[in-house]
Amino acid sequence: MDLIAVAWPYWHQFFFVLFAATAIGFGFGVLLSKNVVRMAFYLVLSLGSTAGLFFLAGAEFVGAMQLMIYVGGTMVLLIFGVMLTAQKDFINMDTHTQDWILATIVGGSLLMVLLFGAFGSEDWKTPQDITDAEVQATKEATPLGLALTGIRVDTLGESTDAVAEGKSGYLMPFIIVSIHLLVVLIGAAYMARTKKLSHATDDKSSRAKLMLFKMEHEEEQLEEEQYVVTHRAKSALNPLDSENED
Amino acid sequence: MATSKIDDPRVIEFDVRTDEMLINMGPQHPSTHGVLRLVLRSDGEVVSDVEPHLGYLHRCAEKIGENLTARQWIPYTDRMDYLAAMNMNLGWSLVIEKLIEYDLPERGRHLRVIISEMGRIASHLVAMGTYGLDLGSFTPFLYGFRERERILNLFEEVCGARLTYSYLTPGGATADLPSGWTDKCREFLTQFKEVIPELHTLLTTNSIFVSRTAGIGVMSARMAIDYGCTGPVLRGSGVYHDLRFHGEERYTEMYDGYVFDVICADPETGKYPESNYEFHGDKLDYPEIPRQAILGDCWHRFYVRMLEVVQSVRLIEQAIEKYEATSGDWGKPIKLIQKLPAKEAYMETEAPRGQMGFYVVGNGDSIPWRVRARSSSFCNLSVTAPLCQGILLADIPAIVGSLDVVMGEIDR
Amino acid sequence: MADFIDYLFGIDDSWFSYLVAALVAAVLILHVVAVGALLFIWMERKISGRIQDRLGPTRVGGKFGWLQTLADGIKLIAKEDITPDLADRFLFKIAPYIGLAASYAAFIALPFADGVVGQHLNTAVFFVLAVLGLEVFSVILAGYASGSKWSLFGAMREAAQVVSYEVPLGMCVVVPVMICGTMNLTTIANMQSGFFTNWLVFNDPFTFLTAIIYFTCATAGVNRAPFDLAEAESELVAGFHTEYSGLRWSLFFMAEYSSMFIVSALASILFFGGPHGPIPIADILGLLPTENLGSGSAQAFNENADGFFAAMNVQVMIARVLGVGNLILKGVIGVTLMMWIRWSFPRLRIDQVMTMCLKYCVPLAAIGFIGATAWQYLDLPTGNALVDAPRYEHHEMWTDGLSKNESDVEAEAEAVESVEEVQTPHANDKVTDASSVTVKTVPVSVEKGGDQ
Repeated sequence: MDLIAVAWPYWHQFFFVLFAATAIGFGFGVLLSKNVVRMAFYLVLSLGSTAGLFFLAGAEFVGAMQLMIYVGGTMVLLIFGVMLTAQKDFINMDTHTQDWILATIVGGSLLMVLLFGAFGSEDWKTPQDITDAEVQATKEATPLGLALTGIRVDTLGESTDAVAEGKSGYLMPFIIVSIHLLVVLIGAAYMARTKKLSHATDDKSSRAKLMLFKMEHEEEQLEEEQYVVTHRAKSALNPLDSENED
Repeated sequence: MATSKIDDPRVIEFDVRTDEMLINMGPQHPSTHGVLRLVLRSDGEVVSDVEPHLGYLHRCAEKIGENLTARQWIPYTDRMDYLAAMNMNLGWSLVIEKLIEYDLPERGRHLRVIISEMGRIASHLVAMGTYGLDLGSFTPFLYGFRERERILNLFEEVCGARLTYSYLTPGGATADLPSGWTDKCREFLTQFKEVIPELHTLLTTNSIFVSRTAGIGVMSARMAIDYGCTGPVLRGSGVYHDLRFHGEERYTEMYDGYVFDVICADPETGKYPESNYEFHGDKLDYPEIPRQAILGDCWHRFYVRMLEVVQSVRLIEQAIEKYEATSGDWGKPIKLIQKLPAKEAYMETEAPRGQMGFYVVGNGDSIPWRVRARSSSFCNLSVTAPLCQGILLADIPAIVGSLDVVMGEIDR
Repeated sequence: MADFIDYLFGIDDSWFSYLVAALVAAVLILHVVAVGALLFIWMERKISGRIQDRLGPTRVGGKFGWLQTLADGIKLIAKEDITPDLADRFLFKIAPYIGLAASYAAFIALPFADGVVGQHLNTAVFFVLAVLGLEVFSVILAGYASGSKWSLFGAMREAAQVVSYEVPLGMCVVVPVMICGTMNLTTIANMQSGFFTNWLVFNDPFTFLTAIIYFTCATAGVNRAPFDLAEAESELVAGFHTEYSGLRWSLFFMAEYSSMFIVSALASILFFGGPHGPIPIADILGLLPTENLGSGSAQAFNENADGFFAAMNVQVMIARVLGVGNLILKGVIGVTLMMWIRWSFPRLRIDQVMTMCLKYCVPLAAIGFIGATAWQYLDLPTGNALVDAPRYEHHEMWTDGLSKNESDVEAEAEAVESVEEVQTPHANDKVTDASSVTVKTVPVSVEKGGDQ
């Protein structure tokens, strides 16, 4: 019995590693996949694993939020992906070397901002004096979840002035990520835009064009009709026809 | 065929690229009533063009008819509109009788009214049920088939077959009605009259059904006439035309002495004729026409069929009485090798789906020189393309279903 | 459960006991999903048969054809698993599992009776909705990966529909959450114990309205007729599962039926008393007096071994079995209602489905929400007495400091009361007023609905 109890450090450590590995692994999947829909699917799995981390930490609300908003939002991305990539040339996206370099620079600088934002607030630089036993006893990450939604949990007891002064937890990095996603969406829409025929023919010039178009094609139609008339076989064998001729 | 729009010089604007799709609906599709194939051009849910393709059930029936005698071809007419085979038999019989100038005895006339009107009920029940299926309601189909089975039981007693009867033949019918049959028929009619309100509740007045059909696929009377639509499709657009009234004398005299209404809305008022027929003990009560319904839409086409069923019940009730009052010959079939004179004959009858015309040319032999059929479903289907422009995908089954086409009749 | 196993083997906080506990719960829930699907498919056949004036299955398994679904299941397993040429093979194969996993995972937080739940979550309502919402993924992936235009149509329809209907659904769910002041399903259910007049549906007219809207939206959310546009067979052949066969196809159906059950069960917990029957038999027979439960039933079951044994007496067991029976019965009634609707009505068109959602369901849900709020605010007479019901809060450590800042005297007083009532699992925890948590959560979930 002792063996069972001691052999594995903590059961949630195992799941933490599992979820973290899937999150990171599928994150790389997003990067390396060439098919838009698969990318979105890997993103879903990555975000889902992150939700798993939240659940593991006991932050159920944040976990459910993660599922609802991020995974649900990715669903919209997925729909866009499906709708926009019906054309062959978009199903597989080949990434060139220069794209990789550019993406690394842009993504890297964004990551820098992110990290700076995350470690920028003074109180978070130094770890608080929480013993292992305490962490184990609580098994909760609600403070973290609250920090992500912009509440300074560490200063909750003191006053709410800190929130008013703008030192609002992890909100800043959070918003950077959101803007990042927005940029991606706009980019996708830009890539997918196309010249499309308008069915509104209100202005005069287009009406004139339309009429010209019809006139041009009128001849073709007439020719077609003529062809049908001339090639229709006359039924010479019909006894009624011959009766009429007589 | 829709022309390609690629070189269309209309205004070009930037938009999010969504593809136009070319979709095959059928010939293996649950709601194309057999093997109809529709090629849809759609942008998302909106369908811009529909093009019906035919020929998947073509069996050269007409050509076969030019190699068989008039009576031998009767089974082939069964397989045209296989849901109303009795009415197909009747059409062919009448045209042959017209060609050889044969006069039917009175008992046979009433017999034919009973049988053909029963066929009409059976056919309209299927039309009603499958229309429910097209709109996603399963239960009316089973209700319709339950009643149809009763009719088929009666038909089975008459001729031994349940789908392809070959019962009415040139000259009359293969046999007289069995004894006691008319009582069973009366019993069926009483039962059936109780079921009709049920069917109205399930579909006609159901608000989802109304919202799916009312105002959808509106066809003006002008258009219906232009495209050669007939039957309930034509009358649903408010054209007062029924061959049982307006047809050739040889056909209308079959209905001499019968009282019934042509079900057709008055284009002016949009109201259906007041009936003085005692139905269910009370005066016949039509369900109210919903506010959204426009004359000529899918709902009206469906409604016309539902009301025609009642008129058929009315006709059968009269016919049974007349049939029982007469005695003697019911009209024996003509000889199998009856010689056909070197003349032509054409005649249209009011089949459940519209005017079914048969054309025959004899050349003195017992085998006709030329046989042609004018299919009502064919003409009715031709309005699919103009009706299905700029509609939603889900409206296609609603429109095609309301036209109630049978591919066996179209392809022959 | 894990603590109980710890206690049984004399070990302390071992991964082994968690594993066993999780497996037991998982297997039990799997039975609800799989056996439930078997039962519901058989029921669907029987009910549709009766509605359509025919018998339905009659032979397999002796009377009533009750083994018909099993026979069909064996047939489906034996069928060839076909992947179309144009399909994206990986996504095509994985899609059904996602759907099943989503509807299966939603059961984790669903309490079948007081204390009979996979995992106590304070935000169970939210969790169930969030996880159920993931089911639509499988449909979209299946539709895309099939390489068939009909499947794609079905997927797009499902996506549009489910995303729209989550808005009114969320608004309806907020109403009971608001009235009870908690997102914990066990607590919401317990607050409706007693006679059926205590059910939230009879709380005020607005909750009655909300219950109806909830059921409508739930029917649309799980893609049942008349909202079954994603698999509209008269238009889209079979919609998103056109290209599937065999076991994968049946997985879609298992997912569909289990999510039907879960939304019905959720409806019964939120509005119809959950495990508490119309007549509180357990209370009348004296099976649930306070001394039987220990102090506070749910945490006694869940938190430590002593509490578990305190709750392990026969009377409480009988009461729980009754509760589970009640909830399953209510869920089955909900599913039956959905079947009844399916076999009676035609299908709506896609624009009508959207109109129904945006023009009718959303405003009505908003009216229900605002009305119920006003009713609570104005303190108008309600049909039930929720206040006396026992509350269970899985409280958080950080609220400890927060409650001291509460200026509300009443909340303070209540907090003191609940300290006496509720046994705390951890020595350093202090129970505080639940409303300080829930008041925060309510607006957040409303915003969530608005986002989508």
